[in-house]
Amino acid sequence: MWIKRLTNFFTATYTNPTGRVVLLTLYYLAIIVGLIIMYGRGNFTTPKFVYQGF
Amino acid sequence: MKQRTQLNAAIISFAILIMALIGFDMYARSLEQRYVNALAPLDLTQTINGIALQRAALYQSDLLPVYGSSEITMINTQYDAEKFFATYPTGFTVFQVANLGAASLTMAQDLTALGPDLRGKKIVISFSPATFTMSKLPPEYYAGNFSPLHAYEMIFSPYLSSALKMDAAKRMLDFPTTLQNDSFLDFAVTQMTRTSKVNRILYYLSWPLGELQIMTMRLQDHAEVVSYLWSHPSDPNVKKIPQTIDWSGAFSTALAEQKQYTLSNPLGVEDSDWWYYQHVVTNPIPAGSEDKSFINRVEAHPEWTDFDILLRVLQESGAEPLILSRPMNVHLWEALGVSEQAQDVYYVKLNDSVNQFRMPLVDYQQYGTDIYFSIDQGAHTSRYGWIYVDQTLDEFFHGNLH
Repeated sequence: MWIKRLTNFFTATYTNPTGRVVLLTLYYLAIIVGLIIMYGRGNFTTPKFVYQGF
Repeated sequence: MKQRTQLNAAIISFAILIMALIGFDMYARSLEQRYVNALAPLDLTQTINGIALQRAALYQSDLLPVYGSSEITMINTQYDAEKFFATYPTGFTVFQVANLGAASLTMAQDLTALGPDLRGKKIVISFSPATFTMSKLPPEYYAGNFSPLHAYEMIFSPYLSSALKMDAAKRMLDFPTTLQNDSFLDFAVTQMTRTSKVNRILYYLSWPLGELQIMTMRLQDHAEVVSYLWSHPSDPNVKKIPQTIDWSGAFSTALAEQKQYTLSNPLGVEDSDWWYYQHVVTNPIPAGSEDKSFINRVEAHPEWTDFDILLRVLQESGAEPLILSRPMNVHLWEALGVSEQAQDVYYVKLNDSVNQFRMPLVDYQQYGTDIYFSIDQGAHTSRYGWIYVDQTLDEFFHGNLH
C-alpha cells in the first residue's frame, strides 16, 4: 500500500517541472554522497619500518 | 526541456555540494581550534601526516610547535618537553610533530603545507647530529614519514620560489618508491625538476589538478580529525597549573635518574644500548683513526642539501624558528676513533648553514663532554639532557633566549 502511495507521490512530483528538478537534485546528491562515502576516505598511513639508529 | 531540467538539477546539486564542503571545512576548523590543546599530547597520526591540527596549533597562543625526530621520541620520560610542560607551568606547552627517522626533507614538506600561516609564528626545528654524521637517510625512513598531502603541497605551493621547489623536487626523486603509486605526483615532481619551456608548460597545466587534489586531501584530513573527535569524546579544557620551575632541582633529579640507567659503562651510554658499543672497551679503537672518514662523511652528507631546503622554506614562509641541535657525546665518539677536533666539523658546518639565514641556533656544543646529555652515539636526548632542552624551549617561548 505504502509503495503505491510512494509511487504516486513521485509520479505526481515528477510531472511538475519544479518537482522534477527537486527530485533530480536529490538523486544527484544521493549519488555524490554515496561516492564520497565509498571512495572519499583519505589514507594517511605510512609504511612501517624498523628504526635502527639515528 | 528535459536536458535543461537535468542541467538545472546538476548545477543545484553542485552548488549544494560546494556549500556543504565549505560548511564542513568551517565546522572542522572550529572543532580543531577548540580541541587542539587536548589533542596535543596524543601524538596522533593525523598530527604528523596531516596539516589541520598543525595549523590549529599555530593559532593557539599557548602552544609551541616543535618539529623533530628520534631525539624527541626515542625515550619515554617525564622530563621530555611534552610531559614536562603538560600542565602549562609557565603558560605554554609544546605541540610535537615528531617521528622516528623524520629528517629535514620531511620537515620541509610538512612546513610548506602550512604556507602563509607560518608567517611570524614561533616554531622549533629539532634534530640530532646523527642526521648529518652517520649513515645517509635510509629510503625506508623517508617513506615511513612520507605524507602525500605534504608532498603535493610542496610541489604545487604558490608561496615558495620555483628554485626552491625545484631543489626539493630533485631530492624527492631520489626516493622513487614514495612516488611509484601516484603517477600524477611523479609526473609533477619530474616536470618541476626540469627547466625547459615544455616542462614548465606541462607543470602549469598540471597545477589546477594538483590544487584540486590538495583540496580533496585537506578535506580528508579534516574528516579524519573530526571522525577522531566524534569517536573519542574529550574535554577541550585542559588542566593548566601555573608554577615556577625549579630548574636546578630538575637538573639534579634528572641527572641522578640518568646515572641509574648508565651503570654498565663509563661513557654515558644507556645500559640497554651498551652491548652495541662495549667493543670499544674490549678492543680499543686508536685515537683519531676514524677522523678522515668521519670528516669526509660529514662534509659530503646529503642531509645538508635537505637542511638548506628546510631553512629556505622557513625563510620564504616568514616563520620565526629556533634551530635546535644536540651535542655529540665527545668521549663516546673519541672511543669510536673520532677526535674532538674532527667532531667540530659538524658544528662548524651547522653554524655556517644556519648563520646564512640569520636564525637563532642552539647546538649545545659546550655540553659535548657531559656524557649524560644523551644516551648514545646518535645523540638521542637523555632524561638529564631533556632538562636543558626544556629550559631552552621555555626561554624561546618567553623571548628570553640569548
